[in-house]
Amino acid sequence: MFQFIFDALIRSVDLALIAVALSAVYSLIKFPNVALVQYAVVGAFVAMSLHTAGLPLLLAGLLSAFFVGLLAVVFNILVFERLLKVDSAIALIGSLALSMILSAVFLLTYGPTAYRFKLEVTPAMRVLGARITDHQITTLIVTAISLGLFALILFRTSLGREMRATATNGVLAAATGIDTRRVTNVVVFLSGMLAALGGITLAMRGSVSIDLGTNMLLPVFAAAILGGLGNALGAVVGAIVIAAAETVVTNTNVGPLVGEDLYFLPASYAPVASFAILVIFLLFRPRGLFVSEVSRV
Amino acid sequence: MFDFFIHVASIACLYGVLALSLNLQAGFTGLVNFGLIALFGCGTYGAALASGMGWHPLLGLPAGIAMAALLGLFYARLGRKLSSDYWGIATLSIAEIIRISITNEQALTGGAQGISGLPLLFAGLKPYDGMARLALYVVVLALVWLFCQRLVKSAFGLSMKLMREEPQLARSLGYDLDRIRRVVMLVSSAIAAFAGFLYAHYLTFVGPDQLVSPETFLIWSMVIIGGVANNRGVIAGAFLMQFAMAYVPFIKDALELPTDFVAAARLIIVGGGLLAFLLWRPKGLFPEKVGGSNGR
Amino acid sequence: MKTTALAAAFAALFGGLVGVTPAIAEDITIGAVIPLSGASATTGKDQSRGIELAVKQVNANGGVLGKQLKVIVEDSGGKPQTAIDAAKKLVSVDKVPIVIGEYSSGNTIPLGQYLVQEGMPHINPASTSGLVRDIGATSYSVVGLDNVSTEFAAQDVLDHGWKKVAVLAMNNAFGQGVAEEFKKHFTAKGGEVATTVMYTIGQSTYRRELQQVEAAEPDAYVFTAYGTEGALIMQEAFELGMQEGKPWYSILITMMNKDTPAEFKKGLIGMDVGYIGEGGDTYKTEYETAYGETFLSAYGGYAHDAVLFSAAALNKAGSTDKAAVLKAIEDLGKEGVKGATGDITLDADGQRTHQPYLKFKVEGEKLVAYE
Repeated sequence: MFQFIFDALIRSVDLALIAVALSAVYSLIKFPNVALVQYAVVGAFVAMSLHTAGLPLLLAGLLSAFFVGLLAVVFNILVFERLLKVDSAIALIGSLALSMILSAVFLLTYGPTAYRFKLEVTPAMRVLGARITDHQITTLIVTAISLGLFALILFRTSLGREMRATATNGVLAAATGIDTRRVTNVVVFLSGMLAALGGITLAMRGSVSIDLGTNMLLPVFAAAILGGLGNALGAVVGAIVIAAAETVVTNTNVGPLVGEDLYFLPASYAPVASFAILVIFLLFRPRGLFVSEVSRV
Repeated sequence: MFDFFIHVASIACLYGVLALSLNLQAGFTGLVNFGLIALFGCGTYGAALASGMGWHPLLGLPAGIAMAALLGLFYARLGRKLSSDYWGIATLSIAEIIRISITNEQALTGGAQGISGLPLLFAGLKPYDGMARLALYVVVLALVWLFCQRLVKSAFGLSMKLMREEPQLARSLGYDLDRIRRVVMLVSSAIAAFAGFLYAHYLTFVGPDQLVSPETFLIWSMVIIGGVANNRGVIAGAFLMQFAMAYVPFIKDALELPTDFVAAARLIIVGGGLLAFLLWRPKGLFPEKVGGSNGR
Repeated sequence: MKTTALAAAFAALFGGLVGVTPAIAEDITIGAVIPLSGASATTGKDQSRGIELAVKQVNANGGVLGKQLKVIVEDSGGKPQTAIDAAKKLVSVDKVPIVIGEYSSGNTIPLGQYLVQEGMPHINPASTSGLVRDIGATSYSVVGLDNVSTEFAAQDVLDHGWKKVAVLAMNNAFGQGVAEEFKKHFTAKGGEVATTVMYTIGQSTYRRELQQVEAAEPDAYVFTAYGTEGALIMQEAFELGMQEGKPWYSILITMMNKDTPAEFKKGLIGMDVGYIGEGGDTYKTEYETAYGETFLSAYGGYAHDAVLFSAAALNKAGSTDKAAVLKAIEDLGKEGVKGATGDITLDADGQRTHQPYLKFKVEGEKLVAYE
């Protein structure tokens, strides 16, 4: 039972950082930026390269996150601001195109094989009957700290106030003298950093390959939409719900239903759970579980 | 080499049909469908179903069209409440659900293995079968194009465009947007399934890897680069993109580049082409003809 | 005005592309579709090396039909779609008389069926699923199919004293065949398969699948996996602590051994086709001299022999005419062709009659055969 909770928690952490990044930036740029998952992969690859070059993991991670944050701002200014002037659907397609280009860059620089961080791999410890590896613990800590800092910025600083104001009503915020463009780019930067950290922690516990981003796309979206797009911390709850659903789907023994002692649904059905939840929410409660900042869906 | 050219041209015709289908949805009606490939998949698996059940191959076509029509209607139903970008995500999710389910259900769909050994169209005409197929596909493409042109130039076509541009106005004028959406989805799903059916009997193999989302994005690039809401344009876009993608391996050989270059180059052609056109020429190579001689 | 300019550009482009013709060949070429990228890239590399060495050997012995032999190797990408596209290019552009390929049954079967529809001779150099037998009239195999390999594995597992096992295999034609046949043989011999978990290849983690097999609480885990996938599965099994106290058995172990680091495969045992047969020592020495290391997998030798067999067939046929080549292959199948993997004879379905298997255990990085 504890293993189940822990598995769901770890899986939600896979998604949480990037889902929060997506949600936070959505309220300001008003379109779902699909390229964000590729930013996470950039973060993982860059951190891995820096780490292999000799930098300690923490420093490599931070530098990589910083770099990705900047990259996100650059793309926002060069590409998305222009596309948003036309239509948000066009911006969505543009972000898809950008994802493809990023995938191509990864393919050319790193090749199609999966890479692993050069870290110690130790067997899991047993805590309360569940298995936990130290990388998973590190991930939990990193996620908690990043999200904590982000929440701190959002709710306790004047910058955070400006961010929330611009998210709620951009025109009014501009009228009160807030430089909405600057605030938007700050949020884009922060979300880029979060995405990069999400990618790095994911890579630490598994491997990083060019498929990492595309495989994560829909679960991350599902988590963000569930929590209510624009409600950054709601995305965390969304991630937990999605992760729990996926874990239930693959860990429940449906043997008795099919007449065998032990039978599980193939694990690759796990994403189906999250996509199905996404579709159901879009159909019946597109605003998400909580009140979202987004008035239209 | 001539045989290879016929091969690429044949596939380009089928992509042209798919581009016309997407054009009806996205170009003319503003329906941002990212799950188009699943409609195509209904066609391919319809053909596979006929083969698996031992039916006459032609029965695969109505089977595929029926499945696609149902799926298209489901997409349309979703579209009632969702704005375009969310609908895009919803259709993408559904297409992925379908693809994953197909990959796992070995008994029904052959699973990841797919279903091979489908009868090749016109096999009896060897060695002219390639040209015969190409001729057929060109005829099909022309017929579908004629159909689409008539549709968009009709009164119904006007309502499609109105729905795309000013949905509130359309509603206020009494147009039933849900009905327009349903009809457009039904028609374009049938077209997409038809392309799928022909493709299955060309490749003789049907598999879930044919339904990955990059395929939908490729078709999108054909529409956007070719010319949104311009039927001739999207056909041109289909040919341009398909030829570009098919000749990448030859460039690789000529310049002696590593094998990864092929996959990366294809991604750059589609992604880069899309982005470039979106930024600098969003109407595509052949922009939509607004107005025109008959006053529409 | 713009439209006409663009139309002219298209016409020029198409015209130019159609006009490009390959140089007239002084060599006899045959085609091969091999996984040069993807999960099985390491084995694909091994197969390409076997092909290269075979080409050298054939040309040193007078070539084919008085000319030099050349093998055009295309990448299958590890996927059926790409494999068929590669075959189309070989058949329609390069106009080869024989196509060798691929490696995974999941790709060989669609590839083979396409080639059979074209009436093209097809030689399977590695796939072992029982379904390969039914590909079609012009398809032949130089490796034995796995109805027999799984029986060998089942016996080996029981001999080690493990009566209750959990099976983990990929869900394609090969994996399905292995899982079904293994279960059949294992239960017939008195064992029990507690659960069978099929995994989709190409995922970034297999934790869920591993947890599913663990829930069965077997005496041992029996699995099969391609190159980099196998490495990932082994690593995650290690991380999950599933290797402590529970043995792991790998069917066709050389597929994934090279890609798996030593620390994740301690104590792993398994079986595979024999690397070489009688008369294969020369091949082994040549390989090690040319590439500075020993075999990457068990399958290089079979790719090598596929080329030898093809060259012999072409020489026997006296031309590249498909009908003559097919007849020559049938005749050679009865006479036998000596290759690095032993004497190759084909049965009535065109499949190899005798196939030696070996038991392997891991020592450090390498595999060591034992009795």
